[in-house]
Amino acid sequence: MASRPNVVRIYSCFTEGSGSTVSLIEVSISPGIPTFSVIGLCDSSIRESQGRLRSAFKSCGFNMPKGHITVGISPAYKRKTGSGFDLPMALGILFASGQLYLPDNSKIFAEGELTLSGELKATPGACIRLKTVKNIDFDYRLIPVSEASSAGLAGFRGQAISTLSELSGIFDCNMYKESVFDYSKAPGDDDFIDVSMLKGQEKAKRALLICASGFHNILLMGSPGCGKTMAGKILTGILPRMDQDEISDVYSLNELTAGESGRISDIRPVRIIGPSVSVSKLIGDSVTVTPGELALANHGILFADELPLYKTEVIDFLRKPLEEHKVNIVRKGNLYSFDSNFIFLGTGNPCKCGLLYEKGSKCRCTSAEIKRYLSKINGPFLERIDIFSEMRTISGNDMASIYTDEDRSESLDYRKTVERCWKIEHERYGGSYLNATFPEEDIKDQMRIPENVIRYASELSEKGFFSARGFTRILRVARTIADINEAEDVSAGDVAEASQYRLRGF
Amino acid sequence: MEGTDNSIKDFFYSAVMMNTDINYKTLTDLTDNKAITNYRDLADKDLLDRIVSAPPALKPETVNRISNLSDSYIRIMDIALGYKNIADKENISVKSCLDKDYPYNWKMLSGMPKVFYFKGSYDIITRMTLNGSCAVVGSRNASKYSVYATEKICGVLGNKGITIVSGMAFGIDRSAHLASVSTPGGTVAVLAGGADNIYPPVNKDIYDAIAAQGLIVSEMPPGQKPLRQYFPSRNRLIAGLSDCTLIMEAGAVSGTLHTASFAAAQGKEVFVLPNNIYYENAWGGLKLLEDGGNVLLGPDSVIDSIARSVMYKRLGIGCRGEIPFLDKDDEFENAANVGVLRELARANPEELTDNNWKMLISDALTLKPLCADELCNITSLPFYKVSKLLTELELNGTVCQEKGKYSLTFV
Repeated sequence: MASRPNVVRIYSCFTEGSGSTVSLIEVSISPGIPTFSVIGLCDSSIRESQGRLRSAFKSCGFNMPKGHITVGISPAYKRKTGSGFDLPMALGILFASGQLYLPDNSKIFAEGELTLSGELKATPGACIRLKTVKNIDFDYRLIPVSEASSAGLAGFRGQAISTLSELSGIFDCNMYKESVFDYSKAPGDDDFIDVSMLKGQEKAKRALLICASGFHNILLMGSPGCGKTMAGKILTGILPRMDQDEISDVYSLNELTAGESGRISDIRPVRIIGPSVSVSKLIGDSVTVTPGELALANHGILFADELPLYKTEVIDFLRKPLEEHKVNIVRKGNLYSFDSNFIFLGTGNPCKCGLLYEKGSKCRCTSAEIKRYLSKINGPFLERIDIFSEMRTISGNDMASIYTDEDRSESLDYRKTVERCWKIEHERYGGSYLNATFPEEDIKDQMRIPENVIRYASELSEKGFFSARGFTRILRVARTIADINEAEDVSAGDVAEASQYRLRGF
Repeated sequence: MEGTDNSIKDFFYSAVMMNTDINYKTLTDLTDNKAITNYRDLADKDLLDRIVSAPPALKPETVNRISNLSDSYIRIMDIALGYKNIADKENISVKSCLDKDYPYNWKMLSGMPKVFYFKGSYDIITRMTLNGSCAVVGSRNASKYSVYATEKICGVLGNKGITIVSGMAFGIDRSAHLASVSTPGGTVAVLAGGADNIYPPVNKDIYDAIAAQGLIVSEMPPGQKPLRQYFPSRNRLIAGLSDCTLIMEAGAVSGTLHTASFAAAQGKEVFVLPNNIYYENAWGGLKLLEDGGNVLLGPDSVIDSIARSVMYKRLGIGCRGEIPFLDKDDEFENAANVGVLRELARANPEELTDNNWKMLISDALTLKPLCADELCNITSLPFYKVSKLLTELELNGTVCQEKGKYSLTFV
């Protein structure tokens, strides 16, 4: 005989920003005129669940009990949104009305949206939520089948169900069976553009290698059609694949914005933004607290095309996230912060006609015009850019040899080097820090930069190779170069090379 | 065995020149008439006897002197062995004009010693042939100003790889040696007495320093005291050994002026440090300026002058292969040289030093500004290497970067 407790408690979870909160859903049914009320700062998507529940119950052979149904969702002071509370509410009502047997002293976690026919659907942010609850001790964990891959990525154990009618099997016949979920990566399109496409552009190639090896921000400038956009795609190809934590970070944010269509992939995300981008698009939607481009580029690349054409406010705004690797959304007094740890890859023309860096002197822009054109990329912004390289139109001969030469696997060698460097750097900083992202300012000892090399760097700084503010950036780049060379200590030569990647001369 | 045999002959020659009335004239007469093939034959007693008994077409005076020599042969040989003893004890070696590594500059001049003695590292001589050398001479009691200028200029020249040649006297000589002894160029001291004879004795400290790091040279045999009359001859050697001469300070009557006139006679450029016209001890130098000497305003014009003569020298030698270029910011725009380097870069690039590459890079930049990728292409070096060279070139001001391209600073 099923027990009929007065108040049924079911646990669920909801997302806010990139975090999530475990919530407790309490259902109580008391005799009276049939009503259905949901309390606890819920938005209409939760309140509307009454209709879905009623129809789903009917489709699956349950009844909506007659009486005064009150659903309380805690913490009651937090605004909640999302249709994922359908399943816990349904469970609560079924237990409270005695239609299902509630085992004594059991803690139940459930989430999922119901369709009118009683099928369960995934809701955005499943990965974030399941990551939050995976270590909490529950007796039953129920999720929709369509969230299985998110669960797999989050390392969540439980049972996936596809319709409401499966519940009777689980609770009445005690057929609950917990399992680990698998996730399958989307078929990785391995056909990245190969580094060899940049033939003849030795500086740009080397710059990309260093950029990837130390996670440095990079700025490429050159004429139209010199392969700047291509360089962005090349960079994705030489970055190491993501590990599971990173995949789930990226995937969970993708889920928030793209729902079920988010693909699980270990290829680092590339978010391409153009001159029309606004600050709010970068930050994200502050009403729904969905992440913007900066957060979506986390662990990957933020590719800012045509940087000199950006609005000044956008460039000024970018300074902070580039420094802090975080982007904050403030909504109604709550601060939601998203990690935005990405390689900033800026590209653009160096002047109005774009031919400034071309071989010979084709550019006819006056220095005043050039200055005006580049005025938006101001000093403070450039301080955050570790590596600068100019690019040029590829010459005809090189073009021909790219397409005739068979050997096109340079990217793989590059990636091997990058992977090796990342390993060295992870070991050095103990964590997932890389040379460019290591947060401490006092890097001399940690990065093994000898006294004489510091002196050499200050001599370069004195001679105007880079500003005093660029000093530590140079040392970081030099550290990466030393890592590429597999050297213990940074040498003066590394600093000399690093100083060649500073933007000077306009 | 050949070497020691020859060296005793060289000592013997010195002994002959110092102790008999045989002079250059006698020698010329002998060699012109094929009586002997070179000066070393003087040590051959049988040959001497043959010349005396059946003289070929020689001047009677010459035959007379040879017979005197033949008579006193044993005494002279004793003296020569005495020289050798001192030389062995003092670590002094002898070098002859018949040797391959006889100083190139002396070879080009007449009246230079057939035999000379040295102590220290002889490779400086080889180096200075290709990298240039500069005589720095001046007053023994020089003013502070001249000493200051000497130290500054010799330091710069020495660091460019140019060897400083001087006479190890007080004053200017001393500070010239001190400023250059530990530079890449190094220093050469030409002594008036034997190479073991420290004169003035107070300069023992720099004598030791030069013997350790530089080179001490003398045409006088070991043990010979520096006599007053030897000094002008020594000055002639200083001027002859170097590619140009700097007169830092010279009184109206001064040995320094000898050096200047020798240098001028040898067709070498003479630079004079301008000085106060009311300062008597500088009058000799100022007079030289009035007569058309070059004004020494700084190391740059000296370097230019040396670069020119080095270039001609190299063309003359047909200098090929790796050139030990110590010069940091190479201003030797030497077409012949760059050509050699370019060939070498193509054939076996790993043999080129950083300085060679820098030279090639600056050479490539003479025509027009180039970007880093083009430089990579020209040198066929990877960018990381080119970037290092470019930074160094920028740091010493040879090259500057503008609009993403590199150009030579003086263009």
